[in-house]
Amino acid sequence: MIRKNTLSVIARSLSLPLLLLVSQLAQGQADTDIGGSPLFRGEELMRSGSYAAAAEMFQMADGLDRNEGIVGASQAYFLMGNYQEAMRICSAAVDDDDYGATQLISTQLAEVMRATGRSAEALEILRAVIDEQFEPPVRTLVQYGSLLQFVGRRAEAVPYLDRAIQRYNNGLVFSSEDVTMVALASWLLDYFHDANSLFNEATRANPNNLEAYGLWGDLFLEKYNAADAERTYQEALDINSRYLPALIGMARVVGDERALQRALAINPNSVAAMETYGQLLLMNERKDEAMEYLDRVLAINAESLKTLSILAADAALGERMDEYAQYRDRVNEFSPDNPRFLGDVADAFGNNYRFTEAVEYARAALTADPQYWQGYTLLGSNLIRLGEEEEGKQNLEIGFENDPFNVMTSNMLKVFDTLETYATKESEHFKVHMSERDADILWPYLEPLLEESWDTLTTKYGFEPEYPVLIEVFDKTEDFAVRSVGLPDIGPLVGICFGKVVTLISPDTLSANWQEIVWHEFMHVITLQMTKNRMPRWLSEGISVWEEREGRPYWGRSQGLDLVRAAAQDKLLPVANLNAGFSGAQNNADLGFAYFQSYLVVDFITEEYGFDKLVELVDQYAFIKEDSARFLEVFDQSLDEFDAGFRGWIDRRVEEIGVFVHTEDQPDEGAGHGHGVRENSSAVLAELYNNASLKQHMRARIEDNDKDFQAHLQLGIVLFKEENYEEAKLSLENAYELLPSYTGYPSPPLVLSQIYEQEGNREAQLQWLETLLESLQHDYDSAMILAEAALESGDTERSAYFLDRAIQVDPYRNDVHQLKARYAEVVGDTELAVTEYEVLVKLDFNDPVEARTDLAEAYLANGQLDQAKQNVLYALEIAPSFQRAQQVLLQSVDGGAN
Amino acid sequence: MKLPSKCRGFLALASACLAAMPVVGQELEPGPNYFLDTPDTAKYALIVAGPTVGDSNKDRFRQWAFSLHDILARDYGYSSDTITLLHDRGYTEITGGERIDGAANREGIDQALSDLAARVATGDQITVYLIGHGSGAEEEAKFNIVGPDITGIEFAAMLDRFEQQDMVIINTTSASYGFSASLSSEGRVVISSTRSPSERYDPVFSRYFIEALDGRNGDRDKNNRVSMLEAFEYAKANVEAWYEEQGRLAPEHAGLDDNGDALFTLEPATDEADGRLAEIAYIDTLVVSNENLSQNARRMKARMQELERSVFILRGRKADFLEADYWTQMESLLVDLARTTSQFNDAMGEVEQ
Repeated sequence: MIRKNTLSVIARSLSLPLLLLVSQLAQGQADTDIGGSPLFRGEELMRSGSYAAAAEMFQMADGLDRNEGIVGASQAYFLMGNYQEAMRICSAAVDDDDYGATQLISTQLAEVMRATGRSAEALEILRAVIDEQFEPPVRTLVQYGSLLQFVGRRAEAVPYLDRAIQRYNNGLVFSSEDVTMVALASWLLDYFHDANSLFNEATRANPNNLEAYGLWGDLFLEKYNAADAERTYQEALDINSRYLPALIGMARVVGDERALQRALAINPNSVAAMETYGQLLLMNERKDEAMEYLDRVLAINAESLKTLSILAADAALGERMDEYAQYRDRVNEFSPDNPRFLGDVADAFGNNYRFTEAVEYARAALTADPQYWQGYTLLGSNLIRLGEEEEGKQNLEIGFENDPFNVMTSNMLKVFDTLETYATKESEHFKVHMSERDADILWPYLEPLLEESWDTLTTKYGFEPEYPVLIEVFDKTEDFAVRSVGLPDIGPLVGICFGKVVTLISPDTLSANWQEIVWHEFMHVITLQMTKNRMPRWLSEGISVWEEREGRPYWGRSQGLDLVRAAAQDKLLPVANLNAGFSGAQNNADLGFAYFQSYLVVDFITEEYGFDKLVELVDQYAFIKEDSARFLEVFDQSLDEFDAGFRGWIDRRVEEIGVFVHTEDQPDEGAGHGHGVRENSSAVLAELYNNASLKQHMRARIEDNDKDFQAHLQLGIVLFKEENYEEAKLSLENAYELLPSYTGYPSPPLVLSQIYEQEGNREAQLQWLETLLESLQHDYDSAMILAEAALESGDTERSAYFLDRAIQVDPYRNDVHQLKARYAEVVGDTELAVTEYEVLVKLDFNDPVEARTDLAEAYLANGQLDQAKQNVLYALEIAPSFQRAQQVLLQSVDGGAN
Repeated sequence: MKLPSKCRGFLALASACLAAMPVVGQELEPGPNYFLDTPDTAKYALIVAGPTVGDSNKDRFRQWAFSLHDILARDYGYSSDTITLLHDRGYTEITGGERIDGAANREGIDQALSDLAARVATGDQITVYLIGHGSGAEEEAKFNIVGPDITGIEFAAMLDRFEQQDMVIINTTSASYGFSASLSSEGRVVISSTRSPSERYDPVFSRYFIEALDGRNGDRDKNNRVSMLEAFEYAKANVEAWYEEQGRLAPEHAGLDDNGDALFTLEPATDEADGRLAEIAYIDTLVVSNENLSQNARRMKARMQELERSVFILRGRKADFLEADYWTQMESLLVDLARTTSQFNDAMGEVEQ
C-alpha cells in the first residue's frame, strides 16, 4: 500500500522543481536544435499517432538518446502491430543477452514478448534485468510482478510489486511514466484506491501520458465504472485520436464496432482489438466472423487469456467439453488454475442465462484463488438470479469488502437495502418482493393474474416450473436495472426473466399494460425452465409475445405498418439470425421489431404446423445440437426451407394487410420495447406544417396511392383540427378500414371518438372507443369512460370488463377504484367492495376520513364487524363529529344492526 | 412587528371551545385567546396579486386571485365588502375585473389596510393572501408589487396596527421564505410556500391551497370547515404528488409558523412546534345558535362537546398509552359521542316534527 509519508512528499516536492529546473536548463541549451532532436520529434510524432514516422525518427536518435530512441521505436512498431520489428530492434541493441546493461530496452523487449505469447522468455529477460541491477527500473519491477501474476505465481509477484511501491513511498519515483507503473503495481496488489490516486498523479504530472490514461480507463472499466472509463479514454483520444488502448477501451465501454474497425485500421494485428471484436461479434451471433478474429489472435499470441477464455466459454456453452478442456489445458500450460479464465467462463454463462453453470465456474474460480474478488461478485450475482438471495448477498459482501470500487458489487448490495424495506407476498406458486405501496395496491390484482398465468400456461405447455417463482417488483427503474444486470442503465426493458426469478418495473412507473408484461415474463419462466435456460432469445421472446395475444385478445402487438415497411425494405432477418435482431439492435425501433418478427415466426409455426410443433421445437432446445438439426427433427425440413416457407407466409400476410407505406413516414416509436403506446411519428407533421399545405400534400399522396394509410389518417387529423368533422370522418374511416388493427397514437378510432364527442354524439363516441380498445391494451382513459357509461346504463358486465381494462393499465388512480367500488355496491359484491376500499385507503391522501369510513361501511356490509369498527375508529379519531362514521361505529358495535 | 402581549380577556362561548379544545387538551401554557371564532367574529380577507410578465403567469395569477375571491364569497360567508382584492395595476377593464378594488402597489396596500383598520373590531380575523413573485433573502426579501417592491419588514410594520385582531398570512410567492419570516408573530398564522431563500421558482402551492378551500376539499375532520392546518396539509400533499407525477424533484417546500418564532415547520401538527393555532384558525365564520334548542337538547349538545373535547385530549396524549389501551378508551368515548349525537338528532327531529 502506498504510504504518503512526509519525507517522500517533501522529497518529491523538492525534486520536482529541481527536475523542472534541470529540464529547463537543458531545454535552454538545446533550444537552438530542439526541433531537430530525433527523440523529441519522435515523441511528438508518437503523440500525434504518426507511428511509422515516429519509429523512423526514434531510430535516428544517437548518443545518450540512443537507448530511449530504440525503446520509442519499438513502442511505435508495437502500436502499428509490427511485433517482429518491435522485438528485432530491441534484440539487436542487446549485446550477448546482457539484459542488465540495457534495462529499458530489455524491459520493452520482454513486454512485446509477453504480448506475443512468449511469457516464459519474457520472464527470463525481466528476471535477468532485476538480478543484475541493485535498483532495477520501476517499470521492470512492475512488469515482472505483473507477468508473475499472469503465469499464476501470485505470491512470488508480491515482493517485486511492493518494491516499486516502496520506492515511491521513499520519494524516489519522479517521472509520470514511473508513477503510472506504481499505479499499476497498486492495482495488481488490490490497492485500488491508491491506484486511482496514482493514475491521477501521473496524468497531472504529465497531461500527455497516454499510457496512464489508458490504464486508468481500464481500471475504471474493470470496476464497471463506465462513465469514468469513457471520460478517461476520451481524454487520451483528445491527445491522440489514434491511441489504440483508448480506442479499444472506448469500444468496450459503448460496444462501438466502428471504434474497433478504426483500431484495426491502425494496427491490423492488435490482439486487444481483435479479441474485443471477436467477443462483440459472438454476442451479435456472428460466430464465423468472430472465430476468424479469435484465430488470428491466437496466431499472434497463443497465450491470450481473454481469447482462450472466450473460446472455452463458447465450447462449454455448446457443451463441447473436450474442446473446453483443450482450451483450459492450454491456459494451464502458461497459467495454471487461472481464476480470471474461470471467471470469464462464468461470466459468459451468466450472460447467456445459464446461471447454474455460471455459479459452478465462479465457485471454481474462487477455489483457484480465494482472493479473486471479482469472483465473489460473479458468484453472488448469478446466485441471485437463481433465487439464492442469502448466499448471493454474502458473496457480494465479501467482494465489496475487498474491492469497494467495483460499482456492480456496490450497486447490487444497495438493492438489497431497498429490498429490506419491501414487503413479501406469497401465493400458491409465487413469492413476490414489492414495495409496501405495491403490496397494498398492486398485489390484490397481481396475485390472481399470476395464478391464472400459472394455471393456463403450465397446462398448455404440459410443464410445471420449479416453484415458488420469485418475482421482484421494483418501484425505481435504477433498482430494477441493477438487480437485473448489475448496472443502472438497462434501456427500454421493463421486465426480465432469469428462469427462476423475474424482475419487473413497478406498474406505478409505467404507462403500459402491466398485466400483459407479467404474463409475458411468466411465459419465459416456462420456456427457460423447459430448456434449462438454453432457449435462444428470439424463440423465448417470440413465444412470450405470441402468448400475450393468447392470454387476452387485445394484448400483443399490432405492427402491420412495421411489417409492410420491413418487407418492402427487405429488413426481415432469416430465422437463423433472429437473435442478432436483439443483440444488434441500434435503437428501440430495431429492438421492438426484433420482438415482433420473433412473434411472427411463432405465429407462423402455430398457424402452419400447429401448436404441438411449437412445443416440440422448445423441447429440442433442452438438448445441445445445431439449429438445423432441431428444425429438421421438428419440421422435417432444413432451416433454409423453413425460412422460405416463413417468407412466403409473410408475403401473404403483407398482401392481406394491403396498405401502402410511404417512404417519408417514420416507424411509430414507443417505450418498453413494445409494451406501451407507440407514438405515431407522422402525426407530428400536423403540428409542424400549416393545415393547407399538409392537406394538399396528403391528398396528393392519396391520389398517388389510395391505400396510403398514414395519408388518410393525417388528412383526417388536420380536418379534425379545422373542425371539418364530416370530411374528417370520411378520411379517418378510410384509414380505419385500411388498417383496423392500427394502435399507434393517435389512431383513427381515437380521433373519430373525439369528433363524435365534440358533436355530442355519445353513442358513436363510445362505439369508437370500444373499437379502439379492441386492439389497444394501454389506454386507461377510454376504458374508464366506457366503464362509467356501462355502469350508468346498468350493464354491469360491460362495466366490470372495462374496469378491469383500466386497472390493467393503472391500478394507482383513485377514480378507477372509486368506480369499481360503486360497481361492487351495485352488484352487491361486498367482498369486492372491501378490496376496492382497502386500496382507496392507501391511495387517498386527501381525505383519509372519508376513505376510512367508506372502507368501514364496506366491511360492515361484508359482515366483518371488527375490521369495520377499527377503521371507523381511525376515521373518528381525526373527525369525532363525523356523523356518517358515527353511524358505522354504532352499527359495528351493535352487531351490524342499523 | 406584532406585540406578543395581545390579550382579549373575554371567555370563549361553549361552541367556540370545540375548536380550541386541542390546545386545552395538550395542557399548553395558558395564553391569549387567539382565534376564538365566535359567531360575532367578523372576518376580512385581503388578496394581493402582484404584477408579472408573460401571458401565462398573468393568467395564472389572475385566475388564482379571482378563484379565491369567488370561493370565499360563495362558501365561506364573505362578500365583496369583506374581501379586498388588489390586482396588478388595478385595471378593472378585464374579464371579471369587477372584483378588483385597487392596484397592488404600496399606496393600494396601505389604503386597503387603513380601510380595514377603520372597520375591524377586537377579535376579528384578517386573512392576507399574497400571490405573485418574490425575491431576495432575509431582511431584503421582497414581495414584487407595482412600483418599488415591498420588504417583509415594511409589510410587517404595516400590519402592526392589527394587534387586536387575529391574522392569517398566506404567502404563495416565489422566494417567499424571507418575507414570510419577517411577518412571524405570536398569535399569527403564517404560511409560506417555500422554506428557504434558495427556493426561487414559481411555486404551485397556491393552486392547491385554493383547491383545499374550494368545495371544502381540505376538510379532513369532516366538521364542514377548513382550518388553515387542513388547507396547508392538503396543499402540501398535492404539491408533492404533483412533482412526483411530473418526475421532478420538488423545488418548493411549504412551511407554517404559528408560534411566533419565525421558524417554519414543514410538517405542522398539534403535537409539533407549529400547528396548534393553525388547527383552530378557520377561514369561515361560525354560525351557531342555541336559541331554539330545548333544555334536553342543550344538555345533550353540551355532553357532545364535552365528549369531543375528551377525544381531543386523549388523542393529544396518544404517546402516553399502550396501543390497545388507547383504542379501548377511544372507542368508549367515540361510541358515547355517537350515541349522544344520535339522541340529539332524534330530539331535534322530534322538535321539527
